[in-house]
Amino acid sequence: MKKIFYYIAIGMIVAAGSSCKKVDNYAAPTETLKGSVNDAVTGKGIQTEQGSGTRIKLLEISYSNSPTPFYISSFQDGSYTNTKLFAGKNVISAEGPFVPLVQVDNTGKTVVDKSQTVDIKGTTTVNFSVEPFLRVEWIGEPVYDAAKGTITAQFKFTRGTTNPDFQQNVSDAYLFVNSNQYVGNNNYDNRYSQRIVYNGTDGNAQAGQTITLTTNGGALPGKREYFLRVGARIAYGLNYYNYTDVKTVTIP
Amino acid sequence: MLNYNQTQIIMKKYTYIIWAILLCYTTACKKLDTLPPNIVNDSDVLSNSAGVQAYMARMYSELPIEDFRYSPQRGLNFFWIISPFSAITGEALSRDQNNAMQESLTFDDRPTTWSRCYTLVRDANYFAETLPKYASNFTPAQINSWLGEARFIRAATYFALVKRYGGVPIVDKVLQYPQQSIDELKIPRSSEEKVYDFISTDLDYAYANLDESNQVGRANKYVAAGFKSRAMLYAGSIAKYNNISLVDGGGNRLCGIPAAKAVTYFKAAYDAAVLLESKYSLYKKSWTAGDKNAQYQNYVSLFSDASSPENVFVRQYHYPESVHGYDAYNVPRQLMGANGYSSEVNPTLNFVEMFDGIPKNADGTIKTTTGGKYDQYANTMDLFANAEPRLRATVILPGDVFKGVSVEIRRGIYTGSAAGGISPLLPPGSTANYPTTNIVQSANASQTPYKLPNGTTMNPAGLSGFFTGDGTCSVSGFSIRKNLAPDKPTSEVLENRSDQAWIELRYAEILLNRAEAAYELNSLGQSDKNYMQDAFTDINQIRERAGATLLTGVADLNNINIIRTERKKELGFENKTWWDMRRWRVADKEQNSTIYRTLMPFYVAETGKYFFDARTDERNSRYTFDVRWYYEQIPQGEIQKSQNLIQNPGY
Repeated sequence: MKKIFYYIAIGMIVAAGSSCKKVDNYAAPTETLKGSVNDAVTGKGIQTEQGSGTRIKLLEISYSNSPTPFYISSFQDGSYTNTKLFAGKNVISAEGPFVPLVQVDNTGKTVVDKSQTVDIKGTTTVNFSVEPFLRVEWIGEPVYDAAKGTITAQFKFTRGTTNPDFQQNVSDAYLFVNSNQYVGNNNYDNRYSQRIVYNGTDGNAQAGQTITLTTNGGALPGKREYFLRVGARIAYGLNYYNYTDVKTVTIP
Repeated sequence: MLNYNQTQIIMKKYTYIIWAILLCYTTACKKLDTLPPNIVNDSDVLSNSAGVQAYMARMYSELPIEDFRYSPQRGLNFFWIISPFSAITGEALSRDQNNAMQESLTFDDRPTTWSRCYTLVRDANYFAETLPKYASNFTPAQINSWLGEARFIRAATYFALVKRYGGVPIVDKVLQYPQQSIDELKIPRSSEEKVYDFISTDLDYAYANLDESNQVGRANKYVAAGFKSRAMLYAGSIAKYNNISLVDGGGNRLCGIPAAKAVTYFKAAYDAAVLLESKYSLYKKSWTAGDKNAQYQNYVSLFSDASSPENVFVRQYHYPESVHGYDAYNVPRQLMGANGYSSEVNPTLNFVEMFDGIPKNADGTIKTTTGGKYDQYANTMDLFANAEPRLRATVILPGDVFKGVSVEIRRGIYTGSAAGGISPLLPPGSTANYPTTNIVQSANASQTPYKLPNGTTMNPAGLSGFFTGDGTCSVSGFSIRKNLAPDKPTSEVLENRSDQAWIELRYAEILLNRAEAAYELNSLGQSDKNYMQDAFTDINQIRERAGATLLTGVADLNNINIIRTERKKELGFENKTWWDMRRWRVADKEQNSTIYRTLMPFYVAETGKYFFDARTDERNSRYTFDVRWYYEQIPQGEIQKSQNLIQNPGY
């Protein structure tokens, strides 16, 4: 009896010990996906806000026909990178302040599909060429008015697409000010930022015009840098802003 | 070694034992099929009307309405409401809720609204499918009425879902597992339109089957019609104002309703609202024409008179078994109860400025200065001497009486010279702090009295605020009155000690639904009835009871915002405004880096009078509504369970 008991005990210990080896048998993800969402006309990255702006949508179809989407947020300048992906076949598209790459009509039929099917392996680069809703551009450099302590910026916005479905009214333009380079609708100093709100169709006629905005809230505290960016948007979908690039103004 | 005899004896013993065991087994088998006596079965509950009532009571208690126990931070049916719903809509400011937000997905592992709703849908479906098995115990009329009630509950629950998430999976029968496969149970979302149609069908069924009257707190046929007017108005607004779209592969529009459907839905809302006419009426028991004080008292009583003919659907509470803490959290600071809570809901000046009877500038803001100098008043209530009675009944104005005491709200004492008048303390629109010269103020409720020129002393701040150091005061210059028990002794102003009923649907809302639907129908070119005349009459009924200025003619009603503002005033602090701002799709415009306004009374030491400073919230709380919030995020856990669910845009 005793002998049998020992045999069983040893057997169980061996079984338990050897089975542990196989628990974590899948290698950590190592593949890299990177690229940029660019303006089809200028070729530059579409400026956006990090986190709540452009994001890349991955549908991994190697294991399922209807996978749960996986999203990668892009950087502020429209580029993105993720170095911890599993190898696999993905349908990749992007969402943000531009004409959607995948458009579905009201019967559920996909009428436009510019998503790319890509095998992610090693370092894979996927770029997108899109039409922004609006192109927002600086005119000259922002000027610091030493007497008033304010910064004045000039800019213009123009329609980025001729697609008749995306000509909604321009709702507002915003001069965002922040104390670090991450500046936009998700991250700005609301004491100094200034905006123009357009009623109804009023904003549409402003397209192409030079618009001047001056920072709000009196004199800016000195001896530091301010980061400025102008955003403008149309009333479509999630009302994403299109932006200029970031300019830095140093206040003495 | 045992000898033969001993072996025989042992063998015999075993044989007996084996027989005995076998005997026990076979006899025991007979009784295995007895129902356990400690479990309540369908037959116990659904074969007698007391059991049915108990089943109903639980379903009603789970009904997803945003009542005294709701806050966006912590969800439905929770006792701790220190971050009030009205503090995300611009109706109020609160020390514990000072930014825009949408409903939290989860709080402390409590079930999400999504899962609560589907649990209740299952309960309602189970009831409707099981009750007919016990039909022999009841009359057909009883059965029909209860089935109608179950449909009402299901419709109200789907309304709670659709107004949050857009199109959701429609479950119209009890799902069985494991009889049904997992794949069958992964029901995809239906279109938003289909969910509203489903609600409409259920409420029509309820209207047809329910009785004319029911116990208080339960639905009768007019409650079903009232809910329908509300739900259809939401659907019509979304068809008209929404510009977000999400379409699945099968062509179901999960977010958004085709604009062509607006007329259908507004008509349904209008027709449903008309059904309640002459069944309910506005509460005017102590209302007297021309008597502002009577009208004010009448409007206060509206929320505490259980026999009000205006109450369409209420949720009752009763101490000690079913309670809330509305009084404890919201009384003015000087009437604070022993739990140490107070003044969580402080109406904004933006809310107050909507009402009639206060001096106003040309742009509609409150007038506190003349010729660049502050107007001075002997008492803080003098500014509001002619205020609309409904305003006084909704908001405790500085210096007004509540529970027999004057609620003292004072920002500080102005000690500077008053010769030639006092210029505004800050430039217009400034978000800066008040200057500290010429102003004495208090950091908290333990104050150092200030010696006035006449030799008497006075605390810098009022008993109910404003305190600069902590938020345990009126942070806006106003305090909430609506729904507070007007006679509760301070010893009972405690958490979980209040039990006034929550009025979820009252006839005033029905009139407002009707007016809005009528106006929208007219603007969409419908002329089968005189809709504008109808809207005009509805709005004037509300205004007359409120003691507000009446519209002089139909031509006055020239803007949808007149109806919307009336709705915001009448239904303020009743947890409806948030949903209205969403369905009108105006929330992102109203809240775009918005700071709400406050009104700060100062005492002038030299003249012994008060002046008021209207300014933006001193705490600089900014509100920005994220456009994604027009459709809430579907809990990620639900998508993991059922991968056919498509997430709403942007999450």
